[in-house]
Amino acid sequence: MNTELGVSWQFLQVYNTVLASLALLSLAGAAALVVYRIVRGEEAARNLLGDGALWLAWLVALVSTAGSLFYSEVIGFEPCRLCWFQRIFMYPMSVVLLVGAWRKEAATRLHALPLALIGVCISIYHYLVQIYPSIEGGSCDPNNPCSMRYVEVFGFVSIPFMAGAGFTLIAVLLWFYAKAKEE
Amino acid sequence: MNKKLIWIIGGVLGLALIVGLAAAIASEEPIDENVGFGDPTVEGQSLPMVENPNAGDPATGMTAPTVTGTDWNGNEYTIGPDGRAKIVVFLAHWCPHCQAEVPEIVQWMNAGGLPGGVDLYGVTIFTNPVRTNFPPSQWLEREGWNAPVIMDDRENSIALGYGVISTPTYIVLDGENKNLGRLAGEIGIAGYNLLASIAEASLDSGDSGDSGDDAGDS
Repeated sequence: MNTELGVSWQFLQVYNTVLASLALLSLAGAAALVVYRIVRGEEAARNLLGDGALWLAWLVALVSTAGSLFYSEVIGFEPCRLCWFQRIFMYPMSVVLLVGAWRKEAATRLHALPLALIGVCISIYHYLVQIYPSIEGGSCDPNNPCSMRYVEVFGFVSIPFMAGAGFTLIAVLLWFYAKAKEE
Repeated sequence: MNKKLIWIIGGVLGLALIVGLAAAIASEEPIDENVGFGDPTVEGQSLPMVENPNAGDPATGMTAPTVTGTDWNGNEYTIGPDGRAKIVVFLAHWCPHCQAEVPEIVQWMNAGGLPGGVDLYGVTIFTNPVRTNFPPSQWLEREGWNAPVIMDDRENSIALGYGVISTPTYIVLDGENKNLGRLAGEIGIAGYNLLASIAEASLDSGDSGDSGDDAGDS
């Protein structure tokens, strides 16, 4: 059990808040894209991002991957069981989406969208476990319980919340990208 | 990528950075990570660890180690054979089950749930400055905790001595510091009443006297 921070306390506050802000902006962006698609129609949505949707999705996956690795390898937060499941679905996307964006492959959506959708389901479940810890038992294992929050910004943004926001934005961007290629 | 997209990405990253820096400026001063740990002494044979205390505690009847330690204000307490029955609750500041349980314990104690002749002690264990809700002192004071507390050390000596492997864990001790049973998890008011009745029964049966301090009567 690691008991020492790998960074200063103040740096951790900045880091947590930057990632939490990015997560909230990601969710807001995803919601705005969905509304834009509904209000302005399919063609306008296609033209809004074009192939850039895939690059943007890759950037979200890259920041999420790097962000989680920084938490565990530099700051010293040990990933719990459900954190690992989310990593399993996020990390491959930082490679799959890069190759797909580089080669402009329409099939990238088929490869990455299931990862993003399963990932968001795990994130939601993990977030619920943090809110209702009794879902996964009545007591805490000192090693690394999934119900424990390493991060709590603005009173409600935790690490699975951030992951879920990333998965959601990636899924929406892939949806936009698929529409663009069907033209 | 078109220029519009680059502006969007730049704007999002810039905004997040500004919010982060603002949070850093507004954040409190770093907390001394040593404030969450005590320097207790644990004397006597350790109780065996049990995977599932709720399925029956094989260490029932064994004498628990005598623990002497302090709270964050330097007040010294001893959990030992002083003739008084005790309920000891082991808490971790980062554990959401403990965070849910503490207000209920406070409410139960304030309502007079703890019988006379029975003391309740809190022991903060598995303390970790890396984890949330540190230090435990701020948390317990915020919740209005008014029973004696002993802080475990970095080596978790008290937790090891009492065979505690999860939080919250409760142990009932008679006046001779014999283990009358351990329970783990959120047990609620009904659970506290059960533990109190076990502790009180040990007094009635003459297993212990009624001398010693009255630290847990508050």
